[in-house]
Amino acid sequence: MKQNLFPKIIGVDTVFSLVFGVAAFIFFGFYYSFHLNYQEQYQLFLFTPRYLLDFVDHPGGLSDYLGNFFTQFYFYSRNGALILAAMLVLLQRLILATTIKLGIPKHWMPITFLPSILYWSLLCDENYMLGGLIAMILLALFSLIYLKTKRGTGQMITGILLLIILYWSAGGLFVLLTLFILFTKFTGKSKIGKNDLFYAIALMLITLILPHLAKMVVLQYPMQKFWIGVNYFRFPENYPIVLPVIALLIILIPFALWFLSKILTIKKAGLLLSILTLLLSAVTFGFIYNSADFEKEEMMAYDFQIRMRRWDRVITMADKKEPTNPISIACLNLALAETGQLGEKMFEYYQNGIGGLIPDFTSNATIPATAGEVYYHLGLINTAQRFAFETMEALPEYQKSVRSIKRLAETNIINGEYALAAKYLHLLQKTLYYRKWASNSLEIIKDEKRVEQHIEWGWLRKARIQKDFLFSEQEKLNMIGLLFMNNNRNMIAFEYLVSATLLDKNLQLFMRYFPLSSSLNYKVIPKHFQEALLYVWETTNEHTEEEITSSISNSIRTRLKKYNNQYDNTRNAAIMKKNFGDTYWYYLHFRN
Amino acid sequence: MRLYLSYIFLLLVLFSCSSKEEVSNSQQVSSLPDIQPDYIGVTVPSVIAPLNFSMADNFELTDFVFSGKGNTTIHLQSSSTPEIPINKWKDLLSENIGDSIKVEVSVKTENQWLSYLPFFIHVSADPIDESICYRLIAPGYEVYSKMGIYQRTLADFKQDAILENTLVSGSCVNCHSFKQTDPSYLTFHVRGDHGATFVATPDKEITAYSTKTDSTLSPSVYPYWHPSGDYIAYSNNMTRQTFHTRESERIEVFDFKSDVTVYNVKTNEIITSPLLKTENFETFPSFSPDGKRLYFTCAGPKNMPAEFRDIQYNLCAIDFDPATGSFGNHIDTLFYAEGMNKSVTFPRPSYDGRFIMFTLIDFGQFSIWHKEADLWMLDLATGEAKPLDGINSNDTESYHSWSSNSRWTVFSSRRGDGLYTRPYIAHINENGEADKAFLLPQKDPVNFYKELLFSYNIPEFSNAPVKLNIPEIEEQLMQEEKPSFSFKSN
Repeated sequence: MKQNLFPKIIGVDTVFSLVFGVAAFIFFGFYYSFHLNYQEQYQLFLFTPRYLLDFVDHPGGLSDYLGNFFTQFYFYSRNGALILAAMLVLLQRLILATTIKLGIPKHWMPITFLPSILYWSLLCDENYMLGGLIAMILLALFSLIYLKTKRGTGQMITGILLLIILYWSAGGLFVLLTLFILFTKFTGKSKIGKNDLFYAIALMLITLILPHLAKMVVLQYPMQKFWIGVNYFRFPENYPIVLPVIALLIILIPFALWFLSKILTIKKAGLLLSILTLLLSAVTFGFIYNSADFEKEEMMAYDFQIRMRRWDRVITMADKKEPTNPISIACLNLALAETGQLGEKMFEYYQNGIGGLIPDFTSNATIPATAGEVYYHLGLINTAQRFAFETMEALPEYQKSVRSIKRLAETNIINGEYALAAKYLHLLQKTLYYRKWASNSLEIIKDEKRVEQHIEWGWLRKARIQKDFLFSEQEKLNMIGLLFMNNNRNMIAFEYLVSATLLDKNLQLFMRYFPLSSSLNYKVIPKHFQEALLYVWETTNEHTEEEITSSISNSIRTRLKKYNNQYDNTRNAAIMKKNFGDTYWYYLHFRN
Repeated sequence: MRLYLSYIFLLLVLFSCSSKEEVSNSQQVSSLPDIQPDYIGVTVPSVIAPLNFSMADNFELTDFVFSGKGNTTIHLQSSSTPEIPINKWKDLLSENIGDSIKVEVSVKTENQWLSYLPFFIHVSADPIDESICYRLIAPGYEVYSKMGIYQRTLADFKQDAILENTLVSGSCVNCHSFKQTDPSYLTFHVRGDHGATFVATPDKEITAYSTKTDSTLSPSVYPYWHPSGDYIAYSNNMTRQTFHTRESERIEVFDFKSDVTVYNVKTNEIITSPLLKTENFETFPSFSPDGKRLYFTCAGPKNMPAEFRDIQYNLCAIDFDPATGSFGNHIDTLFYAEGMNKSVTFPRPSYDGRFIMFTLIDFGQFSIWHKEADLWMLDLATGEAKPLDGINSNDTESYHSWSSNSRWTVFSSRRGDGLYTRPYIAHINENGEADKAFLLPQKDPVNFYKELLFSYNIPEFSNAPVKLNIPEIEEQLMQEEKPSFSFKSN
């Protein structure tokens, strides 16, 4: 019976790994892809010796370097999903190979998926870095190499070498390799030899000494860094406890299974395999379901699409599911403005006040990146430049941001600072996915005319401020006003200006600013602006009939009458929302 | 087979390294080569690291010949930046002290050699200090990432970290200062949750202090050592920064208030004078080399930030008696910048007492963000001030310091790309005139500076290696309670 069962199971383990890998690929590639794009933007992987040296000069740096190397492929999220799936499978296969080497029957195989499942759930948090997973893979790999080395002096020397190499490449995880070696040495042995004992003491001494030796050489990090090494988490001061648990599982699973296989006699291997598979599938689903944050995924999707200037996709997303997150709303409003629909459609979606036009500055790497996009497309180029710089500097693990560098290049081109733009473009030439754009841009900046004629840079150069004033976070409205006064063809600036007054429910200011639109020659005044105008005219009676007939469409006039009737009669928010939720009047009266 | 192939490959490599194409039938060009960095006509000290450079444009091959009055000649050919062999370079420099090195550059393009007019690198007989120290920091706005204070030996390309902010998460290191290039007298600041000001002298272990007192406006900044090593002049500034919206300007840093104080290292007391603690804005102090004068910049009170474009600082001085730690009873104006509709920052007296070098800008006090910032020299013997034409550019020249023999200056300039400051070194002759400055050499300077996302900040000469006990500093920083400066009441 046994002889018939195993050949089947040998094939099953590969199938299991494949199914697991495909599931991870589908999850990251199709349901969580914008998390990968988010990761990619916050690093600047350069194919230069100095970039490499900056990582490998301290313990754990190699894992971080490899993590960044692979993260650059997240530019195309399906590539990223493939890499993640492959790495999760690789981790599982290494643990499986260790268990096979220890002679553990394959019906225990589903347990070897546990560390990969746990790490998959961690990677649902955008702050977990790929370098951490690579460090775990290195631990599993080095453990297996040790195990596969022929017993004797050679294995002992190999063990010490592996320990040192693992320390420098994967940081503090090397402690677990020591543990693994000790387990290997002493598990199942009835008698412990003198040599083994000395070797164990030597290993433990090396383990204790290595971080201190490294600190003496590298100096400029706190001791904690020498015991951890790898940037598992974007915020290095945080070290989630689940990480050492996963690392411990990598080491313990083979020995735990070895122990179990010794004490349990499994008569129905197929049944055990089925039970474990079901159990692990449920665990996988449970962990991923609990860890995935699809609200963040949506916000990252909005941010990514405006970064890529895919305005229509942003609006399509909003049409499918109305955004409520302030960042997503800011992205939607920018997309509406870029497609000339802000005054036409903005109140068809949920609005959260002026913050939904331009988010306030915060000292982190997320909000300034999105807010910077708004400033850039408005024409406040220096502010966009500042936000790009601050985004990059706020990255807690001392990384640079490829998105920021690109924006710094763009803003400096617009400002005519070509030497500085060239510096950033030269850096981008040393990346994989931005080099073509950078080389093309370097060609463009050699010819002033080509910059002037560039559809985006040429326009933004005309739109930007000519007369200096100091930026004030508290006076955004005034600044947008000054921006529009600087170039009264800047329709986005105008629509942001008057939309801000509407969002602020400051109709007095709206009436003061709206006449500025004369320079824009609207053929038809956008719907929401008509709604506001008509509402003010009707409530103040400061208008002429001609003004109304020439500016306001019949349908809006009719609709306001209906709105006023219902408002006077019911004031029921739900009914009003159903009938007039897409109007400014509803926002004015019912949205707090 | 593999072994043979390896030998063949090795021979090919050796052959390709040693053989040079002959520059034949060369066409003479009547101009100087366009090289980067621009080392044409610069004056260098006799111990400087090789001035590697490359042509600004790409060519099939470039040929460089360095020669002087001695036997040493360096001949290099490359399609990129050739690396000058350091030992031969040292020989060449030592053979030509007080004279010049001739540099001949030829380029090969479309199978035709072109030879440019030769240029010269002057080798000064004036010695220079061993190294320079600087902070490397991204030229950012409010948020900062990795930064550190580093030392770089001038004779080679070795850079070592003195202190990096990676040591304590979220910290900022700044304002390192030595006593007339002597790093055994040292002070620097660490900002952040665990911030402190460190002070060390040969007689005093390095100690972290809290410098804010109830009687001073703010923690002490902009330090300058008294030549005796017994005092450090600081200023106390209530500083803010704001941001411009127009393309040529980025940041404006200004004070709401500022005073100048002097810290007595031995008694741990801050001393000042009513003349330095006024409604006026006093800042950027420095001591005269004899220790009997305190220089600083001073502006009349303004309503900040509304009048930020109207504030202009003059160069002033007050007498100081190091024996008693007392100040004179009047303030002298040494350079009335307001009269020129300008403003003075960073007065730095030469250590021979003859000159004061300062930065001149249109208004305000934070010159690094002013593109018009230029270096000026005030001759204390004649009272005459003039711009240092040899070293100024169209972009910002700002922070500067003197070598211990007052014959060299190192300063930061944004002339490269308009933002990232780079250290330039210039020879200053006995009349206070500057020779053409040269960019701090690197092995591959073009790519090095292009890829570097840090600015060189506060370059200072150092006559010996700076050695800090990093674990000790880390421990002191992490202590909750730090000793405070005390304020000596009059």
